[in-house]
Amino acid sequence: MLEFARYDAAKRIRGSVYLSVGISLLAAFAVWAYPSYSQAMDMTQLREAFPEPLIRAFNIETMASLEGFLSVELYMFGWIILLGLYLAYSAASIIADDIDRGRMDTLLSMPVSRPRLAFERFTALGVPILAVNVVTPVVVLVSAGLIGESLSIADLVALHLLSIPYLFACAGIGLLASVIFDRASIAQRVALGVTFGIYLVESLLSGTDYELLGVLAPMRYFDPNEVLLDGTYDLLGAAVLIGMTAVLLAVSQLYFVRRDI
Amino acid sequence: MGAIELDGLTKDYGDVLAADDLTFTVDSGEIFGYLGPNGAGKTTTIRMLLGFIKPTAGTARVLGNDIRDRRALTEAKHRIGHLSDDQAFDEQATGAEILDLHAAVKGDERRAELLDLFSPPLDRRVREYSSGNVQKLGLVTTFMHDPELVILDEPTGGLDPLVKHRFAEFLRAECKRGVTVFFSSHILSEVRRLCDRVGIIRNGRLVTVDPIETLLTRSGKVVRINSAEPIPMDFVDLAGVHDLETSAPDERGAETATEFTECTFTFTGDINALLARLPNHEMVDVSIEEAPLEDVFLRFYGGEDDA
Repeated sequence: MLEFARYDAAKRIRGSVYLSVGISLLAAFAVWAYPSYSQAMDMTQLREAFPEPLIRAFNIETMASLEGFLSVELYMFGWIILLGLYLAYSAASIIADDIDRGRMDTLLSMPVSRPRLAFERFTALGVPILAVNVVTPVVVLVSAGLIGESLSIADLVALHLLSIPYLFACAGIGLLASVIFDRASIAQRVALGVTFGIYLVESLLSGTDYELLGVLAPMRYFDPNEVLLDGTYDLLGAAVLIGMTAVLLAVSQLYFVRRDI
Repeated sequence: MGAIELDGLTKDYGDVLAADDLTFTVDSGEIFGYLGPNGAGKTTTIRMLLGFIKPTAGTARVLGNDIRDRRALTEAKHRIGHLSDDQAFDEQATGAEILDLHAAVKGDERRAELLDLFSPPLDRRVREYSSGNVQKLGLVTTFMHDPELVILDEPTGGLDPLVKHRFAEFLRAECKRGVTVFFSSHILSEVRRLCDRVGIIRNGRLVTVDPIETLLTRSGKVVRINSAEPIPMDFVDLAGVHDLETSAPDERGAETATEFTECTFTFTGDINALLARLPNHEMVDVSIEEAPLEDVFLRFYGGEDDA
């Protein structure tokens, strides 16, 4: 068991290093930029200056503290949008790319069931997800220390732990696209479009009569502000995300088994 | 029990019937050739047998497992080797990494022996492989776990003649060890060289399944006669003579309307009866050869190309 997970995980190490370096640079830049921003202007006014839809889209609570600033600049943008889309995009090639390039016959001529293949390759996405969530908080803490700010280590660790089910749920969207579409390029575009679409629906419809529509959006169950500003951890939200991932995985497996290749 | 038993196996794509009610059995231990031009339905058949696509009607058993039973078929793949007609591997991986993955999943008892025979460049990435090297790597992955049944889809495409020859020898030796081989091809000489029995498929339909000898007997002999003296036309006015061509060079004094000195035809009757009719003339040359399989093929295809 897990031969395909191991194989894929090994293949993902290099990309995960690049990803972690990139996101760490973004994190260091956000921390580094904070003092010059907060000295140059009234951060409360900066928040008010954003148009209302943008405040809602980025869920901006406050920018008058490093926690609030990082929530917006790093976690809303870097995690919920960038990494969420990256994982959906990455997962979208898991099955479709092999079908697209004629490698699926070679893989399935081995004694491996389709559900197992999909599951193992999906779990290999744990490599970039874990790497980026281990490296970045260290970079954030060290950079914060360098500019003389202190952050709650517990909150930061909790935030990164809670982002793991969120990122897997986004990857689940990609996996589903990957089993439905034969061509990787289409699966990837669909995964990006759908993930970004439900993000927009969730963020722009919150507070309106259509708020209920966002109930299927992973973004609803992961809120960096809550963790960094209030120190509350939404464990129920994490459980919902884990459930969502399980459902997306199961539906993908079922679809994959039933389809012709 | 046959190694592969097709029972009304059908794949209907709506606009095209890729496999139409295929029923035949591949016996354990034989080399079975599955012959047909490109697009006849060979790959579709094979992909159904391996569970990649589902039949729309009928079924098949592979090593005793119904192909509709996915779990059993997956399990049976420990004992099956498959080479796809468009073999492809992870381009980013080296040949060695590919073999390690295959070994971890299904075993590699015969890896070293196969690498001696086919030797793909293991340290290079697959992206740098020629199509011949991809095919060699494919042959290693097909046989490395010592399968009792191998299903090969156009196995020699891309191989150079030397490796092709080595592969043919290898396949014969495998057959002696009791391995069942089912292989598809549109190359007739290959099938003739290797196979015990041949199934011919055309437009998704099975045309015939015959031992290779029967196919050759049925297809007849090519007879060439070059006589020093004219032979009357009556000689070739006989049932079983096809594609007759006669000629009579002037210097041998034949009446071209009623006699000839040289002729070529395909003969499907009793060759002894034919020889008994041959006039007691001085012959320059007489030859009786098996009809090339290409002609056999052409007969089943009614002159379609691809043969």
